[in-house]
Amino acid sequence: MNRKLFNILKISGIYLVLIFFALVYLMPFIRSLFGSFMTWEQASYFPPQWIPNPMTFTNYLKLVEISLFPTWIINTAIYSGIIVLVNILTASMSGYAFASLNFPKKDLIFNTLLALLMIPPFVTLIPNFIIYVKLGIIDNLFGLAILSTANISSIFLMRQYYFSLGKELFEAARIDGANPLKAFFYIALPLGRPALGAISIYNFLAAWNAFLGPLVFLRSPENYTLPVGLSFAFSRSIWSDYGPIIAGSLIASAPTILLFVVLNKYLIRGIVIRASKG
Amino acid sequence: MAILASKKNIERLTFILLIIYPFTLNAFFGYFSAVFSFWLSFYSWDILSPMKFVGLSNYYALFQELWRGLNLLFSDPNLLQFRAPFFNGLKNILVYTAIVVPTQTFLALMLALMGNQKIRGSQFFKVAYFLPATTCSVIISLIFMWLFEKDGFINFFIIPFTGGYRINWLNDPTYLLTAISLVAIWGTSGNFSVTFLSGLQTLPKEVYEAAKIDGASSLNRLIHITIPLLKPIIAYVVIMGLIGALQMFDLSYVMAGSSGGVGGAGYTITLDIYNTAFLQLRYGYAAAKSVILFLLIFSLSYYVQNKLRYYRHE
Repeated sequence: MNRKLFNILKISGIYLVLIFFALVYLMPFIRSLFGSFMTWEQASYFPPQWIPNPMTFTNYLKLVEISLFPTWIINTAIYSGIIVLVNILTASMSGYAFASLNFPKKDLIFNTLLALLMIPPFVTLIPNFIIYVKLGIIDNLFGLAILSTANISSIFLMRQYYFSLGKELFEAARIDGANPLKAFFYIALPLGRPALGAISIYNFLAAWNAFLGPLVFLRSPENYTLPVGLSFAFSRSIWSDYGPIIAGSLIASAPTILLFVVLNKYLIRGIVIRASKG
Repeated sequence: MAILASKKNIERLTFILLIIYPFTLNAFFGYFSAVFSFWLSFYSWDILSPMKFVGLSNYYALFQELWRGLNLLFSDPNLLQFRAPFFNGLKNILVYTAIVVPTQTFLALMLALMGNQKIRGSQFFKVAYFLPATTCSVIISLIFMWLFEKDGFINFFIIPFTGGYRINWLNDPTYLLTAISLVAIWGTSGNFSVTFLSGLQTLPKEVYEAAKIDGASSLNRLIHITIPLLKPIIAYVVIMGLIGALQMFDLSYVMAGSSGGVGGAGYTITLDIYNTAFLQLRYGYAAAKSVILFLLIFSLSYYVQNKLRYYRHE
């Protein structure tokens, strides 16, 4: 009896802590959702209020009326779209090549690429900026996207995935007369779909949320992506109050939040792969 | 032609065809740029005028700045940001790392251990904890700046503990770095707790059953089985946390501004590199600073990895 009571207490204690932290992690989102419909006087009122009164959409309207916000959404979508699409190609192609084709010293080549993950982005940032200035592709969304079109972690993930499928599969296709390129298009690419799904999500999140690259490489406000645009809008206070910043932040993070809520199983599976590498 | 058409050569040609783009791109913008950065650190250059070889004088200036900063730290800390910004950034980022990495690792481990119990709704907790990690750091900072206001949401929950005093988080140099650290912990601990959780689920169940039969209490099982078995994942989380913390940029840039906020209390090394390169146009000097950042990250994570590996073999 005593033991049972102890167990119940233990489980409810665990629940209490877990729910407390769930609230801590979710609260800023919930709070901004409510706050985005308030006037700024009410949103900054102390003690905090919850029910928007009067309920207002001015914060959202201001985003469309007096700013480049819609342009930034389109820019971010183009930037992330390019990066996701090209990475699906580069990761599956080179992942397949490193996993199942024979080439002298291919593991050395692969490890050379992998070692790049140890170099902090700040080390290559300045030279890359100078190269871009000299090439004349600074302040260019497409030029900036090129830098992220061959993500090494994605190549690593695809290589692991094709290893896990087993070498026999590709060898069997080869014996049946398919050349390596055919085997890639007809076997490796369709079979790679689950892993490519995870890669697409990672690259999308990274591109959608990217800040340092767009901050340095994009110069004019009409080329900005959402993170740079919002930070610019805040520091120049292009809206008279903070309300539109909150509304804009919510809109800008909606795609990543929705994507994660719908596809969280994919993402969490990817973490297992990444953690086992470390 | 017969040689070219042989099966082996077709395979090699295909290999080259498939990796040529990713390889060239990474070799150029990764390795070439890293070497270029190192080479640039011996020059003085603003891109427009011709490059000037200056030998070690960038590193000498850096060393002087660090020395000046060390002296100022004890004599007149208010002048740090003005006279030795790189030292100020270094000092801040080390304090920040010392706060963030242990806290987030401990919090992540604790949440994972609790989430690993047989309870309903564990997927909901996973999603809730991981959500901050999928959200853009700039957006997180912007939302938190609103919550951290003097009359803001966070102070409302804190005043019972401060006796009614409302902390001016963002405009008081004593609290600015703490506020940034809190946001960082909030943003990454959930991410790492999911890493721990997936690690916990791969641990062999037989060991636990054997220990249960031997009568080991749950606390004993935690200390003598779970933690030692998790060592590799703890090492991974600590190193990833270290690498991320030492390079923190986004949070400071938004919450403190590129000049580091009041008294430079939110200034970091990465902000200093950014300012030196893109505002002062001293690319050579900035490259020297980035080389120092690389050495710092590399040596610290190497040290931690060795230390944790040593414990693993005990």
